[in-house]
Amino acid sequence: MKKFQLGEFEEIVLLTVGVLYDEAYGVALKQEIENRLDRKVSVGAMQSALRRMEKKGYLASRLGEVNKKRGGKPKRYFTITSFGKQALEHSKDVRTDLWNSIPEVALELKII
Amino acid sequence: MIKRWTDKFFKWFCHPEYYPDLMGDLEETYKDNLSENPRNAKWRHLFSVIQLFRPTLMKPAFDKPLINDNGMLKNYFKISVRNLVKQKLYSSINVLGLALGLAAFLIINEYISFERNYDKFFSDSKDLYRLTTDQVQDGVVGTRDAMSFSPSGAVLTNELPEVLNYTTTFKFPELVFRHNDQVRYEKMVVGADSNYLRLFDYQLIRGDSKTALEEPNSLILTESKAKSYFGDSNPIGQEIEVLSSFNKPFKVTGIMADVPENTHYKFDILMSLKSIQNQLNTQAWSGFNYYTYLKMDPLADPSMVQKKLDGLLQKHVGEEINLEYNIQAVESIHLYSDLTFEPEIHGNHQAISFLVLISIFVLIIAWVNYINLSTARAVDRAKEVGLRKVIGAHRKQLVAQFFIESLLINFFGALLAIVIAELTLPFFNSLIEKEIAHHLWNNLEFLITVLIFFLAGTLVSGFYPALVLSGFKPVAVLKGKFRNSKQGVLLRKGLVIFQFAVSITLIAGTLIVGHQVKYMQSSNPGFDMNHVIGFANPRVPGDQVDALEEKLLLFYDDIISHTSVKSAGSSSVIPGGGSSEIGSMSGGVKIVGVKDRMEGTIYTQFIDDRFNETMGLQLLGGRDFNRNLITDSSSVVVNEAFLEQLGIRNLSDAIGEYIQFGQDPENEKFKIIGVINNFNRTTLKNPIEPTCYFFDAWFNTRSIPRIINSVVRLEGASYLEGMAFVEKSWSRFFKDVPLDIVFLDERFERLYKEDKRFGNVFGSFSLLAILVALLGLFGLSSFMAIQRTKEVGVRKVLGASMGQIVLIFYRDFLALIGISAAIGFPTVYLVMNQWLDGYAYRVDFPWWLLVIAGLSISLFALITVGYQTSKVASLDPSKTLKYE
Repeated sequence: MKKFQLGEFEEIVLLTVGVLYDEAYGVALKQEIENRLDRKVSVGAMQSALRRMEKKGYLASRLGEVNKKRGGKPKRYFTITSFGKQALEHSKDVRTDLWNSIPEVALELKII
Repeated sequence: MIKRWTDKFFKWFCHPEYYPDLMGDLEETYKDNLSENPRNAKWRHLFSVIQLFRPTLMKPAFDKPLINDNGMLKNYFKISVRNLVKQKLYSSINVLGLALGLAAFLIINEYISFERNYDKFFSDSKDLYRLTTDQVQDGVVGTRDAMSFSPSGAVLTNELPEVLNYTTTFKFPELVFRHNDQVRYEKMVVGADSNYLRLFDYQLIRGDSKTALEEPNSLILTESKAKSYFGDSNPIGQEIEVLSSFNKPFKVTGIMADVPENTHYKFDILMSLKSIQNQLNTQAWSGFNYYTYLKMDPLADPSMVQKKLDGLLQKHVGEEINLEYNIQAVESIHLYSDLTFEPEIHGNHQAISFLVLISIFVLIIAWVNYINLSTARAVDRAKEVGLRKVIGAHRKQLVAQFFIESLLINFFGALLAIVIAELTLPFFNSLIEKEIAHHLWNNLEFLITVLIFFLAGTLVSGFYPALVLSGFKPVAVLKGKFRNSKQGVLLRKGLVIFQFAVSITLIAGTLIVGHQVKYMQSSNPGFDMNHVIGFANPRVPGDQVDALEEKLLLFYDDIISHTSVKSAGSSSVIPGGGSSEIGSMSGGVKIVGVKDRMEGTIYTQFIDDRFNETMGLQLLGGRDFNRNLITDSSSVVVNEAFLEQLGIRNLSDAIGEYIQFGQDPENEKFKIIGVINNFNRTTLKNPIEPTCYFFDAWFNTRSIPRIINSVVRLEGASYLEGMAFVEKSWSRFFKDVPLDIVFLDERFERLYKEDKRFGNVFGSFSLLAILVALLGLFGLSSFMAIQRTKEVGVRKVLGASMGQIVLIFYRDFLALIGISAAIGFPTVYLVMNQWLDGYAYRVDFPWWLLVIAGLSISLFALITVGYQTSKVASLDPSKTLKYE
């Protein structure tokens, strides 16, 4: 059995990389997550999640263009690998499975 | 600025692979922020960098260029461990020696810092000074007294701007306390004014420290005292009756924690000073019996204040007084103050310096062991070094290798030292009879000391071996022509000589200390102190003294009627007390018509007509007091020392003459009626006090103690029965008054406690030093013996007996011990002779003890060497020479 280890925050970062597709680099990612989740994100937490996932093989990266605003430093664009996609799907499946398994009564009770 | 430093910091810790893009991101965000909110952009930048400061994004702990060295480092450790394991005996000798040395050093260090930190726990301890009184005559300082006049504190605070505050205290000799049916002698009662707790900031557990000592007849108890009187009930507001001269109930107004061990002024109970206001009023400027403490302005210069004190007493007391004020820092009292009437037996900075020396020597001996053993083993390691060099090792790398070996050994030594120190601490505490600490291992300061000396030890002990071992020439050692270098052998011999010289010095020093203490205990104090007991008489107010005296006489008559009681008498002091127990006069004396006024302290004791007989003192001339002669109320008996001080050779010159005390012509009425032999009232460290004995019916004022103690001589064979009878009779005569019997010989014994303790501490650590040195010798001799295995084999083949072979080895070591003795003996003489000079009664320098010290060291050394060499000498030459 394959094992995909994906934390909640990691999953969010990974998904956001997917959302931004070709434009997924540090600053943009942070902004996107903050806008969508409506909460502050620590650069450190995000960056270390990115590097960790890159090591695990969920992400690939390439260095982009250099511009002046960035003090002559390149951007690092991240893209999801197929392995990363599998991990995301796995995680989604688990959730759907869980959702489906909840007896309707439980949910209805909640509504009342 | 902040931005620049932040960037530098980021570059320093960031993983180089991630750095460019992360820095780019940071820069981009910073620029955005800068346009939005220029003020805090740099702070947000810093905040981001701090957020990025996490292990995943950091560079690996060892940088790339280090990785190779890292591997080598691992290798050094591996080789070192293998070497240590291979040579189990040497390694364990080294570790054990270092551990013992370091443990001894650490414990002494702990003790020294305990002694040096006396009185430093008060918040203002640096600004606190004690006011003392010197007797100065024509510029010559005579007796220096720790006490001062009671109004002094207030006067100085008024007159000198540098003195901010003061407190006046009075240490009661002994008071009887009664609560319900408990009656107790309290020996540690201090009368203190309400300023006391402001200067010495003891915190009260209950009660208000500002007002607790305000009212007359109030008491502050320490926690344990409160518990002993009141158990668990709340003592505040309760009453304790103070008998002895007060006979009044006192109110408990405060409870404080027990006074710690490390203060010079200890007490169990504080009494408000106002309770003795009468005594203060009458004594004012006529008796300096008070401990006064001043709080100085932190900015004031104590030496300037000292100058201002000159002549102040004359201003208040009168021109003719020959006393001067002096101040001493409270922090230094315990170790450096040596005045009369100190509140407790003080420490001794000389003993502390001795201990510092011993501790350093023990440590050095341990380090020397390591140096000796590892250089002696050089032959073993020579080939290894040669080969390493051939393969291409740099000298630096070899040095590193040997340093790591020394690091490992020192590390294990330090670990073991902590364990040893922790385990032996309780023994040490009981040796010095003080609790310097409960535990050591959890004491940060202690661990830091361990760390420092572990590193120092590594450097000191590792340096020379590393230098020597790494310096071998590969060609020479690999050819097999290697021998220990001449300088190396010389150095090793020098170090062994050093070790033995120190050992001899220490052992001889210990023996001499023991000898002196024994001498003091066994020398004739001028009277037979065996089976003499002393106890305090009931204390009564002044107007009842006469009645008490009559009752006491009946009591004496009653007890001497028993066959086991020889005689009984009373005195103001029981012999065998400290120097502060006896009264003294410093006004100078004159024998009318015989001698002009002589300055100097004269001690005064009040006795009855039976005291001399009871003590077994000899009357050298004249007569003893006679109760039936009323004129004896103005007679004095003096001792030989008194006449000596006045320069009178012939007893008959003095007997029948009159003494004038001070300069009051009225005081001419005392007639010398007798002279008794000198006897040691206190420790033999002090010379015999020139003493005047007054018939105790004379002074009829409340402030002078009369008939406050009794001495009773019992029959040696049946003294227990006699004592039982005294107790029985006492309870018949003085119901409700506790009887606290002390044996005089035990009292004298106690005087030498401090000296004995010093001897014990000195002795234990000397022993340890010697043990460490012998341990080193054990290793060294075993090594040397093994090295000479072949030589021994050849000798045996040529017909040498085992005894002859062992003798050859002995010759070398005996020569070393001889040189050590030549260095050690003069050192011992210089140091110990000076130490002995501190005693008024000292032994002649005991040369024979030096010989004993030298012989015992030789004996130990020969046993150690003999064991190792005989092992080698007993080997079969056919085996040892097989490969030749």
